[in-house]
Amino acid sequence: LFQGDLGPFNPGLPVEVPVWLAINLKQRQKCRLIPPEWMDVEKLEEIRDQERKEDTFTPMPSPYYMELTKLLLNYASDNIPKADEIRTLVKDTWDTRIAKLRLSADSFVRRQEAHAKLDNLTLMEINTTGTFLTQALDRMYKLRTNLQPGEGAHSQDF
Amino acid sequence: SFMQGSKLEIPLWLAKGLHDSKRRIVSVELPKIYKEAWRTVFSADANVVDLHKMGPYYYGFGSQLLNFDNPENPEIAQTILQTFISRFRRIMDSSQNAYNEDTSALVARLDELERALFRAGQRGLNDFQHWEKGQASQITASSLVQNYGKRKFTDTDG
Repeated sequence: LFQGDLGPFNPGLPVEVPVWLAINLKQRQKCRLIPPEWMDVEKLEEIRDQERKEDTFTPMPSPYYMELTKLLLNYASDNIPKADEIRTLVKDTWDTRIAKLRLSADSFVRRQEAHAKLDNLTLMEINTTGTFLTQALDRMYKLRTNLQPGEGAHSQDF
Repeated sequence: SFMQGSKLEIPLWLAKGLHDSKRRIVSVELPKIYKEAWRTVFSADANVVDLHKMGPYYYGFGSQLLNFDNPENPEIAQTILQTFISRFRRIMDSSQNAYNEDTSALVARLDELERALFRAGQRGLNDFQHWEKGQASQITASSLVQNYGKRKFTDTDG
């Protein structure tokens, strides 16, 4: 368990608390949640458009943009203006980013590169594709060692 | 016993054991999919080939074949690697794409190594979808524990 101090809580005045507490208080109908500044239709449209335009990954306003969007829209959509549009915008941005990630992976495999650097990915994206990618690259690495003369495959791994 | 020069089908492990480049007890004839005619098909478009029918361990078996001194080994190794590289994209996309209705036709044509990768991709997708539906935070009994029978008190007596 950890502990700390929060507050002061004054009626009518906004106060910053950890997300888990905010959700908890909201569920108990003790507060109204104020969405983060980036959870706004115009801002998210900008981000979505930039994501579609650029080959590289847009730096996201939060490394937990997916998680926060899901939590806030699930528990506090009444406090978020244009919640449905926001949901769609975030999903569109996610889809674009994942597609880009796959494109990158394919390019990396085709060119048999040894090293890649992908900035601005969030953990959510990495975890969704990570298992597949690491296994595939491991397999490919083994196939590449076949190319070395005098080094027939020793592994029985299929 | 058999005559020198006769042709037999023997298991790979036996061929490996008998093989010795100095004593020349056995020489190995390549299965046709590793020979030049098929290698040309692979380099034209590896995606159309039914590797399950042709294998189902195309990559693993092919890697093991490289243990025998065959002058075509460099070409074989290169073809196996390039085949993997060209089929990679489709496996990744279909395993990770929720909107793909029927992947069974594709999976039927994958060799065992590719099928394992496909399953890894599916797991990533399934985990994401579970999280999206809010199922990730539900505590469920471990599948290991569910299989334990309930112990009766009489079992613990004496």
